[in-house]
Amino acid sequence: MFVTDVRPAPAAEALSNAAGVSPTRRRRRRVPIAPYLYVLPALILLGIWIYRPLVQTFQLSFYSWNLLPTQPLTPVGLQNYVSVVSSQQLRDALVNTGIYIAAFLVFSVVLPIAIALLSRQVGGRAKTAYQAIIFVPFLVTPVAAAAVWRWLLSDSGGAIPTVLGNFGIDIGDVLRSPSGAIWAIILIVGWQMLGFGVLVVSAGIAGINPDYAHAASIDGAGGWTILRRITLPLLSPTIVFLVLMTILLSAQWTYPMIDILTQGGPSDSTTNLYYLLYQIGFQNFDAGSAGAAGTLFFIAFSLLALGLVTLSDRLSFYDN
Amino acid sequence: MAFVPVADITLPVRTTATTIRSQDRARTTVKTASRRHIRVPAVVGHIVLIVVAFASIFPIYWMFATAFREPVDASAQTIFPWPLSLDSFTTVWQQIPILSMIGNTFVMALSVAACQLVIAILAAYGFSMWQFPGKNVLFLFFIGSWLVPFQVTMIPNYVLISQLGLLGTIAGVIVPNICSAFAVMLMRQHMQSFPRELIDAAHMDGRNSWGILLRVVLPNMRPALAALGIMLFIEAWNNYLWPALIFQHQSNALVQVGIRSFLGSEGDNWGAIMAASGLACLPIFLIYLFLQRYIVDGFVRSGLR
Repeated sequence: MFVTDVRPAPAAEALSNAAGVSPTRRRRRRVPIAPYLYVLPALILLGIWIYRPLVQTFQLSFYSWNLLPTQPLTPVGLQNYVSVVSSQQLRDALVNTGIYIAAFLVFSVVLPIAIALLSRQVGGRAKTAYQAIIFVPFLVTPVAAAAVWRWLLSDSGGAIPTVLGNFGIDIGDVLRSPSGAIWAIILIVGWQMLGFGVLVVSAGIAGINPDYAHAASIDGAGGWTILRRITLPLLSPTIVFLVLMTILLSAQWTYPMIDILTQGGPSDSTTNLYYLLYQIGFQNFDAGSAGAAGTLFFIAFSLLALGLVTLSDRLSFYDN
Repeated sequence: MAFVPVADITLPVRTTATTIRSQDRARTTVKTASRRHIRVPAVVGHIVLIVVAFASIFPIYWMFATAFREPVDASAQTIFPWPLSLDSFTTVWQQIPILSMIGNTFVMALSVAACQLVIAILAAYGFSMWQFPGKNVLFLFFIGSWLVPFQVTMIPNYVLISQLGLLGTIAGVIVPNICSAFAVMLMRQHMQSFPRELIDAAHMDGRNSWGILLRVVLPNMRPALAALGIMLFIEAWNNYLWPALIFQHQSNALVQVGIRSFLGSEGDNWGAIMAASGLACLPIFLIYLFLQRYIVDGFVRSGLR
């Protein structure tokens, strides 16, 4: 996992060791200046665009401010937190975020594993060709994906309602239906994520040494046992990565679809935590509440991610 | 294997031969048994992949099929658009400055990718070639940035961009994105596996660290740099959130925002909307067509490590 990868670098110290060869540079060797200079630009930018705003979001959460530079910030204590936590919108958004994440896990983890396992016998060029096609939706510009799917799902002449209509199924205008819209968004984003999942899982399975399964089968293990006891445990780093990725990025992936197709509606049925943040900040112009909500999400999010990483370190089964 | 030894002392060679043969047989039976359980026949695999590939590609095919239909039968459901027509593209051409939108987006994505790549190379070089006090803490800042969702930082960043007077400009889209923690981490992994002997040798030749980076490390990392660069370009091209904030009102500066407004203004003119969407995806599709291996490798490797 990239997050916890702290193994010693093979090339590390190469320069500082070599620098020690010449006596004039001995002082440099102890505390080298060069690496700080190389790292500095990235660090400064990270500070300006990630950590400064993070701190400011935290500060803003104790003020009332409507984002207008001319208006003063009035301190309101914890009031923003109280109003955010007690809002019905937040509860809706929280439930929807849970639904989104659970549904995306199907598209980015469960289905890719099933597809990769079922197609293991397909090899060579055919497999490469299939995978190349399956990956294409991942590259489609979000705004174009939203447009295509709005057309495919349109109740006046769209391909999907027309085809389903031939079978006597009437889905109506899905994107305007309070019960159906969220599933339409899930389908669209899932369609984009599936190819990425399939590629990552296939690569993971290809990286598993076949000797283990072979040895187990000589010992009399059946197919399911091999799958459960060998393939899936050895695949666990890949699975954990995909789960983490889905949780961390699902909000990012849904945002364009929600923004273009439903604006969180109808009646908040498709909104999620991050779209809610956008609405509080840029539609209600309530920087304070947005700050409070942002701070809470950041804390919840970090705890969740750190918990997952710890869990994955305990569960993951590395092949080395 | 119960039948093996008949006359073990007199015929040792043959015995071993039989043992091996019977072991072989045992192994093949196990193999076929396990194949019956987990090894799904290739036909099933092909069918599954064909279904998934069809579901993946159909919406994209439909986008282009609708775009090439004659506007009168834009809502026709025939699988193949016939007769073909460029009228929808002409409409797009007349309604919005699609060419300059694509050009602007290209410049934006290229600048973002180039900046991210340069910054990432420098930082990754610093992190992977030296041991220095505070290294782990500093690297933690890069990992930690993954935990900060974009939406949590967007209001202060929006305020800063507005103070800099960059709202509604392409520079406003580029500036906050010139450093990518993801690129730094990926680049660091590549550099860590760089053969140390080459660096030592270059040091013996009296090169300084900057010379080693330019003359030794980078030339040997061209494939990795290309893969990462393409990936960053695609990411920047497809980024929606930040451009949508910077250009909040009707704007034709970038494809993301331009097509969003076009979608609003054209309503049900699906032929034109699909033509515009198709054009917005085209550059990425072309890159994918020619550099498919780099792209797939890049994205998968970013996923695996």
